[in-house]
Amino acid sequence: MVAVQVIVGGLLLGAIYALFSSGLTLIWGMMNFINFAHGEFVMLGMYAALMVVVWIGGGPAIFAIAAAVALAALGVAIYFSLIRHVTRGPMLAQILSTFGLALLLRYTAFWIFSANFVSLPQNAMSGTVNLGGIYLPIAQLVAGLVAITLTVALHLLLTRTTVGSKLLAVAEDRTAAMLMGIRPDRMQALAWGLSAGAAGIAGALMATSYPWSPSVGETFGLIAFVVVALGGFGSVLGSLYAGLIIGLIQSASAFWLGAIYKDIVVYGLFVALLWLRPQGLMGKT
Amino acid sequence: MLLDAKNVSKAFGSFLAVSGADLAVDEHEIIGLIGPNGAGKSTFFNCLAGETMPTTGRIVFAGEDVTRAGPAVHARAGIGRTFQVPITFEDMTVLENVMVGAFLRRPHRNDARDHARRIVELTGLQPEQRPRSLGTPGRKRLEIARVLATDPRLLLLDESLAGLTPTELQAAIALVRRIHDMGITIVIVEHIMEVIMTLTKRVLVFNQGHVIASGTPESVVRQDAVIEAYLGRAHRRQQDQKSV
Amino acid sequence: MKSIFSPRRRIALLAVALLLFPVVFSGAFARDIGVAFLLAAISASAWNIVGGYAGQVSVGHSMFFGIGAYMPLLFYSLFGWSPIAGIPVGIVLSIALAVVIGMPTFRLTGHYFSMATIAVAELIRIFVGTWDFVGAAVGLQGPATARGWWDLTFRSELPYYYIFLAVLGIVLATTAFIERRRFGFYLRAIKASERAARSLGVPVRRTKMQALALSAAFTSVAGSLYAAKTGFIDPDSGFGILVSVQMVIVAALGGAGMLFGPLLGALILIPLQIATNTWFGGGGSGLTYILYGGIIVVIARFEPGGLFELWYRVVPERWRRAYAT
Repeated sequence: MVAVQVIVGGLLLGAIYALFSSGLTLIWGMMNFINFAHGEFVMLGMYAALMVVVWIGGGPAIFAIAAAVALAALGVAIYFSLIRHVTRGPMLAQILSTFGLALLLRYTAFWIFSANFVSLPQNAMSGTVNLGGIYLPIAQLVAGLVAITLTVALHLLLTRTTVGSKLLAVAEDRTAAMLMGIRPDRMQALAWGLSAGAAGIAGALMATSYPWSPSVGETFGLIAFVVVALGGFGSVLGSLYAGLIIGLIQSASAFWLGAIYKDIVVYGLFVALLWLRPQGLMGKT
Repeated sequence: MLLDAKNVSKAFGSFLAVSGADLAVDEHEIIGLIGPNGAGKSTFFNCLAGETMPTTGRIVFAGEDVTRAGPAVHARAGIGRTFQVPITFEDMTVLENVMVGAFLRRPHRNDARDHARRIVELTGLQPEQRPRSLGTPGRKRLEIARVLATDPRLLLLDESLAGLTPTELQAAIALVRRIHDMGITIVIVEHIMEVIMTLTKRVLVFNQGHVIASGTPESVVRQDAVIEAYLGRAHRRQQDQKSV
Repeated sequence: MKSIFSPRRRIALLAVALLLFPVVFSGAFARDIGVAFLLAAISASAWNIVGGYAGQVSVGHSMFFGIGAYMPLLFYSLFGWSPIAGIPVGIVLSIALAVVIGMPTFRLTGHYFSMATIAVAELIRIFVGTWDFVGAAVGLQGPATARGWWDLTFRSELPYYYIFLAVLGIVLATTAFIERRRFGFYLRAIKASERAARSLGVPVRRTKMQALALSAAFTSVAGSLYAAKTGFIDPDSGFGILVSVQMVIVAALGGAGMLFGPLLGALILIPLQIATNTWFGGGGSGLTYILYGGIIVVIARFEPGGLFELWYRVVPERWRRAYAT
């Protein structure tokens, strides 16, 4: 029974990992660009949720949407002010840009919010539910299900809608897309908005169940790398599968090996993946 | 035979970019590869240069099988290439760019530098200039100089003469002739007819991954298949009707 | 106008200035800054070889620093040996680690390498923090009092200063040596375009590997020097991300890929860091890193070549890289 609990808990957490990682993989697929600040986007989403609750007292739906919107706006702003200028430049500039951004966001958060761990006050989603003998916090359950839904929705957006095909066209061949009347700049800005928005809402969902501090951004960033590496750079569906797997692995390692090991196992997996199968489960090299 | 490429095919997933292409090049020839865009000549070219690994077929250069080898091995064997869009080392001077090429056969700095200086002079460039002040024709020239410094036996030129003014074009053609006079075998991918007609003695025409014609430039441009490839079936029917 | 400040003279002047600095400024505070400056310059110059010249941006170089810092203190803690014994061991281990990381990632695009460096550094940091053999979260300590000069435990900063200066000299001399020769040209070609480099016969993967190994070795030495001087190491001060960040920003600010770039960067950032730490007290280190993050973003956005590049752009006649050809 406990084992089932661990598994389900891991999958639900993994669903949230899948959601924010799909944002990272989207950017990679679009622009061959890794956002080293992606974990900080998730972290900021968590604080955005907190601030909405504290100032307006909104419920989960409100703070989740608010986090999504706020981070999406931030993502677009970052694209236009920074990313757009470095993508066609030297590798040093590309990597330093988001790496520096990560530091900036992380330490600004430390400065504003302090290093103390915080969590959301009681809300509509507090409490547990009993599903056939397993006790699950409602928040975790709802967050996990919403995360899966949104990830699948993102995948469908990319593969089934006109907007999605425009995004993929730019990813495939920028020049050709331009010749077809698509504006790559706009599409890439949109991708950044979606990516950051996904991270933001994932953060808000995460905030309903887990305490956090500005330091979590670094961990989430690395988890996103692992998920994307496992699921395949550029594949949202891959991120879904990989996210669930990683959540499961983390939950299992924490339970059977000890809490300290949950991160070690995941980072170790990343290094192993780089060595053995860099294209991941479902991605293109 | 310096280069012997037999039955080279390259598939990208289910898309067959090149299918069963053969090319035999003797020492000191100048060969042209022509064909409409997307015909597969660039992919074939990249196979010869080692950047793309053929799905089937064999490429033998100076007796060495280089089919599965990468670009660096091809370079060391004596195959040099230029790029369609010139890739120059922006943060280095013209001389330094050429020295990178020179270092292949001359590991010691002074030898490399002296050799590079000679090549720079031969190609009419200024050693201390920066690539960014060169413009596209200058960059193409720099690329040629740089690969020349590797002492290639075979030089693969990828549309190195495109986008030049008539004067620049004449100068470039003269440069290619001078390179040929140095004893280097040349395979050139080009769209500009004047280049093909004046420089090459033999031409291969690609269309949809296949070599559809080969021979002297004059004979090849008259072949129906070639006209059809470039101008389409309708035009060929027009030609047929006119001759009736 | 022929300047009396030829490059050789300028370097000589710099060397003399560095040699005389602790003699002229003999206060403890000044010497402290001097030592901190030298250490930052050494690590950043080590990073510069692979990150600046070859363009392979490692953001986890602390892994080599930490190994170099732990080994001397480990040998002392376990066997009572002089910390010097640990230095070559640190170098060997760092090179081994460099190979392990470089092998798979150097055949992929640059981003993979950068991601791998963060992940491995973090992995090692967390792991070391749980391993009692190396002191776990508490860390290791060096000799409290010197049994002899070989314990590298001096009461005055002066010996440290000159040892560090000598090492800096070695790192810079090595870099200058490489810069003029084929290896240096190949590094710069790789940074500019791997594709073009390959087409000219450059053994890209092997060259990158050699650069990383060399960089790792020097970084390890920097870590050893740090451990010798502070007499203490723990997972954060050895393997923490801020150690990696400092190396990168010091090199990038001054000019990544330029011989004296890291020196210039250290010259600006070390006093800056000490100033912000003093002014803002406890919360100061947080502000310092906000500043660091901001500086890195600005460099990336406006002048990836750092201050040296900015200088060269503003003063075009100085473009002669007099000691390169």
